[in-house]
Amino acid sequence: MRKLAHLLESKQVSSQDLVQHYLEQIKKLEPSINAFITVDEAGALRAAAEADSRRAEGRALSPWDGIPIAIKDNISTKGLRTTCASRFLNNYEPIFDATVVTMLKRAGLPILGKTNLDEFAMGSSTEYSAFGVVRNPHDPQRVSGGSSGGSAAAVAADEAPWALGTDTGGSIRQPASFCGVVGLKPTYGRVSRYGAVALAPSLDQVGPMAKTVEDTAILFSLIAGADPRDATSVNAPEFEVPVWQENVAKGLKVGVPEEFFSSGLRVDVERAVRRCLASLEEQGAILEPISLATNVYAIDTYLTLVTAEASSSLARFDGVRYGERVDAPDANTMFAKSRARGFGSEVKRRIMLGTYVLSASHYEAYYEQAQKVRTLIKQDVAKAFAKVDVIITPTTPTTAFKVGEKRNPLEMYLSDLYTAMANLSGICALSLPCGQDAEGLPIGVQIMGNHFAEGLVFQVAHMLEQSVGGGVSVEV
Amino acid sequence: MIDRQEVIRMARLARLDLSEQEIGLYQRDLTNFLVSGRKLQQVDVSEIEGSSHAVAMGHELRQDQVGPSLTQAEVLAAGTGVLNGFFKVPRIVEGQE
Repeated sequence: MRKLAHLLESKQVSSQDLVQHYLEQIKKLEPSINAFITVDEAGALRAAAEADSRRAEGRALSPWDGIPIAIKDNISTKGLRTTCASRFLNNYEPIFDATVVTMLKRAGLPILGKTNLDEFAMGSSTEYSAFGVVRNPHDPQRVSGGSSGGSAAAVAADEAPWALGTDTGGSIRQPASFCGVVGLKPTYGRVSRYGAVALAPSLDQVGPMAKTVEDTAILFSLIAGADPRDATSVNAPEFEVPVWQENVAKGLKVGVPEEFFSSGLRVDVERAVRRCLASLEEQGAILEPISLATNVYAIDTYLTLVTAEASSSLARFDGVRYGERVDAPDANTMFAKSRARGFGSEVKRRIMLGTYVLSASHYEAYYEQAQKVRTLIKQDVAKAFAKVDVIITPTTPTTAFKVGEKRNPLEMYLSDLYTAMANLSGICALSLPCGQDAEGLPIGVQIMGNHFAEGLVFQVAHMLEQSVGGGVSVEV
Repeated sequence: MIDRQEVIRMARLARLDLSEQEIGLYQRDLTNFLVSGRKLQQVDVSEIEGSSHAVAMGHELRQDQVGPSLTQAEVLAAGTGVLNGFFKVPRIVEGQE
């Protein structure tokens, strides 16, 4: 991104040149990838023209003024269709920008369009999108992962230099891993959720995705910050893009949890991650075997809580103030028919599960119990970070699976096996591409840091990126 | 297997008008999911407070000052049935004209 910024600053390219380049990439590749639900050609070119005027007058809003971006389609963009990949919101145009969008606009970033996702961010493959699956740019027979599959694929395929995603149980990190890009789930509360359509309010975070660690850090710096319109956002120290340190590994205590390297983990994924650990050790890091024993409960805890919160979050979609409405003689029938027609099968499934675990006769046994197990998981993670600086694991047990391969919903949920713990405990976690499997599919390594330790996580990721390889710089 | 009537009751609570096929599908899915949900019930959580949040946070109040708001026209803009500044919906209360 620094290269692009320099090209813009030195007027070797214009923002309109850049936007035009990405729009052409999108036109060329979308028939085979389907990463975008809406492409805003006119809006992006208009914003690019404004950026060029500003630069010509010496009034650039930021060093990144004029560098376009793609936004996951569950993040509100004023006047630009925001569907959440759902039939329910097929024609919905928000009347306000999400705070993260406002911040990007203040930095001068034109918006190329809205990227595809699993419906309402529920899924791990984008196969639940009402607008069709996003195909993996490395192998179109395979998924891009989810739910932020569109954002990951757009960046991987050079349809956008960077993108925003959201992560509730792994929805930035898993598609980043599958597509070979970098993705960060920030510490809970570090980025405003105002305007990001809620799936599970105690787990969701908006986060950056890009090809390199530095670009991901730059984008994170543009969106991080407390927001009075999001009562769950926190006053953390302002995040500045790190000055990259060469000796970050010296004395760094790296936790290696045995539970994340057990059966079910593909051999080539394990080999790539262990190569990262070896590289860190060679450079002076101390590898510490640790146990995160409660990870065995992470998926079940996550499923109980995410479905409960989803059933509550999606209660607002009733056809009254916006969205799909089916006419009926009474309001209750209208609600029920509108929701039945507007929602896809996975969304209905999670609403049904969530309603069940929250219902009076089951609340204590399921929901309250899951909340208590969540506390155990948080305690387990806190204990680990009392001993180590970062925790390194594979991002996912496998590389990208084939479209249509996982027909059983429970099997799909296992994609979050290594990622859900970070959401449950609120810590930050980043996925970095660290190699390929025998079929050339990307492998991701996950670097987890304690609350508000994004700076350290980025440093470690950058160091690994230099030593074992990772993302590829944008070529224009 | 979860009782079919229970599935229908959940659908009513969730305001979802499910087809017969969907009732059967979610009856099976609920049953399968609850097998894993029951695993959590084996965990000893005596003396443990449940967590509704990932990170500890207090209540930060703001000054009671009026700020910019959306206009009525903006709020009504996405509504399907709008009449005289209201969102128009079918009757809510049973038996009243």
